[in-house]
Amino acid sequence: MDYGWSTELAAFRAEVKAFISEVKTPELMAELDNSMESRRVTPGLRKLRAAVDARGWVKMCWPVEFGGEGKSPWFQFILAEEFSLAGIPYGRGTASMIGPAIERFGTPAQKAKYLPGIWSGEISLALGYSEPNAGTDLASLQTAATRDGDDWVINGQKLWTSGAHVDTHVWLAARTDPDAPKHRGISMFIVPLTAPGVSVRPIWTMGGVRTNETFYEDVRIPGDALVGEPGQGWYILANALDFERVAIGDGTALVPAFSRLVSFLRDERPDRFENKVTRLRLCELELELEVMRALTLTNASIVARGDTPTMEASMAKVWTTELRYKLGSIGMDLLGREGALSPQGEGLAPLDGEMDRTYRTSPFLRFGGGTNEVQRDIVARRGLGLPR
Amino acid sequence: MDTSLDETQRLLRDSIREYLTREVPFDRIRALERDGGIDEELWRYLATSGFLGLPFAEPIGGGGSLTDLAVVLEELTARAAVIPYMETMAAAVALERHAGSDAGPVLEAVAAGRMSLSPALSNGLPGTAPPSGTFAGGRFSGTRRLVDYAQNVTHHLVSVTHNGRPALALVDRSEHGVSMTPLTQIGRTPLANVVYEDVPAEVIAGPEAVQFLRRSLPALTAIQCVGNAQQSLNMSVEYVSMRVQFGRPIGTFQAVQHHCANMATMTLGARFLAYEAVWKLDHGLADDRLVLRAKSWASKTATEVPMLAHQLHGGIGYTEEYDLHFFSRRGKDRATAWGAADECLSFLADTLAEEPAWQ
Ligand SMILES: Cc1cc2nc3c(=O)[nH]c(=O)nc-3n(C[C@H](O)[C@H](O)[C@H](O)COP(=O)(O)OP(=O)(O)OC[C@H]3O[C@@H](n4cnc5c(N)ncnc54)[C@H](O)[C@@H]3O)c2cc1C
Repeated sequence: MDYGWSTELAAFRAEVKAFISEVKTPELMAELDNSMESRRVTPGLRKLRAAVDARGWVKMCWPVEFGGEGKSPWFQFILAEEFSLAGIPYGRGTASMIGPAIERFGTPAQKAKYLPGIWSGEISLALGYSEPNAGTDLASLQTAATRDGDDWVINGQKLWTSGAHVDTHVWLAARTDPDAPKHRGISMFIVPLTAPGVSVRPIWTMGGVRTNETFYEDVRIPGDALVGEPGQGWYILANALDFERVAIGDGTALVPAFSRLVSFLRDERPDRFENKVTRLRLCELELELEVMRALTLTNASIVARGDTPTMEASMAKVWTTELRYKLGSIGMDLLGREGALSPQGEGLAPLDGEMDRTYRTSPFLRFGGGTNEVQRDIVARRGLGLPR
Repeated sequence: MDTSLDETQRLLRDSIREYLTREVPFDRIRALERDGGIDEELWRYLATSGFLGLPFAEPIGGGGSLTDLAVVLEELTARAAVIPYMETMAAAVALERHAGSDAGPVLEAVAAGRMSLSPALSNGLPGTAPPSGTFAGGRFSGTRRLVDYAQNVTHHLVSVTHNGRPALALVDRSEHGVSMTPLTQIGRTPLANVVYEDVPAEVIAGPEAVQFLRRSLPALTAIQCVGNAQQSLNMSVEYVSMRVQFGRPIGTFQAVQHHCANMATMTLGARFLAYEAVWKLDHGLADDRLVLRAKSWASKTATEVPMLAHQLHGGIGYTEEYDLHFFSRRGKDRATAWGAADECLSFLADTLAEEPAWQ
């Protein structure tokens, strides 16, 4: 057991902190704020990534065969954590979900073709899993891929393909064998979103965030777009979903949000801050953030050992997404009626409506990426071995 | 004790519900939320059908009770109506009960739909500091923050200190010297900060009316909380019975059923407490603690139940196109209005020793 950081990692963290304090300018933060809902990679963010890359930090954990240094995943973890704490969306989240799947199931040619771009952010992937009738019951998906010579031809419809309007590719689950049992007939593809026959329609949500419906009409893609074997898709997907849970379960960004809430109450609403009920609620949140940290670090520690977390990832996913909802809700309540104010600029709303925004963007994380009900089933069955 | 609606209340509920279902489509609510303003057509209907005079004694009004009013308010909430019904009626009833004959013309104008009101108090909770601002010689200067429908009602009912005692003064919203900063809030109904600069203000009621209003506002807001929770629960029960995953309705899964059961239990508790508070207020039996217990629980319910409804609806319920967000957003707005859950709890904690039941 070791609850501390090695000298090397501690030094690395200090170095990252110093770097961030240099690059985190008010201009960059304003630019990121403006682009939040469109999810576009802004010029400032591109420049920042280049600067991170120039320090050797993008590739440091890559395998040596791809030009990396093969360093421990803890470096990547610390880098991501520091950026989260600073409120800078450093990488597109899907890279951490699909990168490992391609590493594990891709051919050498596919790894060379996709991995460097995925890691650097030049290739970004939307997740093409859900369909109108395939939500929690994902294995009943109907989008079909049929062989035509060396190519595959895709037809069907996906729902909730977030980011498809800005990403370069979609990581698509399609049915390749309609006659096989439903879990066995699925395969995974990497499809360029620019391919002829792909169309994207926006869906707006109550959180202000955009997601999409995507349609595939006779979309022809080459044979090497298939990742893994035909029919192996469900297995690959389950693995990618484990990593997705780790990503959603990382609630580091909640820490600075909580800290802003405490500071605002302390400095701007001292009467409220003096109130014991307010303090009690804040300390309850503080405690739940500590448990979140425990779950996050447990997962990171499992990944660093080279294993895939299962039960632990589900625990973190449930905890973090429920906590996001609580932070928004309690934060609004502690501010009283003005807590209901939405972002509107001009200093009219406390924290410019951050608590309202947190509240309104919390529902989809509770049921997205595998619903919290199903996550609890996973903890009980896969984790604790309870009978079905 | 009988917690069911009586014959008159059932008729009231059915008639307003039938009208709303037929005449107020959710797309109209969507447009109102986007463009601002209130549902003038619905307001006219409420006036011509007697809903705006419902709780006033005859001959001005319909001689109904505050509980009757609450039944109508819940239906309006369940349709996400964008009108200052709660604000106008809470203010008018406070005047009717405690302003004597001075209130006559106001009540007549309210019942006819010519006048609408919004309480502009310094703070919604009982027992708080005297109102800020200066009131002298029939003129008021000061600021009132977070006034619901301030831009839309004809008059504000402003809390002032008159002869050293709390009082309510009527201010015409269109007076020169009234300036408003509109605010956007989660429920997307109109809200504004108001600055009054030396505006004519007519004192119309004294301390009893102030006290009544400080109780009726949380109590009636608790009814709105219940309306939002109930509608979210109803939509969920219907949806989970229809939505099929794994070859069966998701309502057959135990995890889903347990959520529904918890939602229903919370809502039932909130409903009883909110209606009890309104009824007791009407009968002179309510005190601050009773009202704020009801509001605290209703606020919690209007948060948790709609958010669980989102959980049960999955992606579809989270879209703009679907109607559930009206109730989750409005529910949270009502949860913070006139006493957020913890503000009420804090008052309850401060006054725990005064509660006769625990002595
Ligand atoms: C904003 C947003 C972004 C999204 N982004 C993406 C994306 O990029 N890519 C993608 O593929 N998908 C995406 N999704 C889809 C998301 O993953 C699904 O919403 C999720 O999988 C749930 O599916 P569903 O919405 O169909 O809900 P349903 O599966 O219909 O579930 C409804 C309710 O039933 C419960 N339930 C269902 N089955 C069971 C069971 N067996 N036991 C107990 N309870 C059960 C659920 O827990 C839930 O409470 C996104 C959704 C949203 C709203």
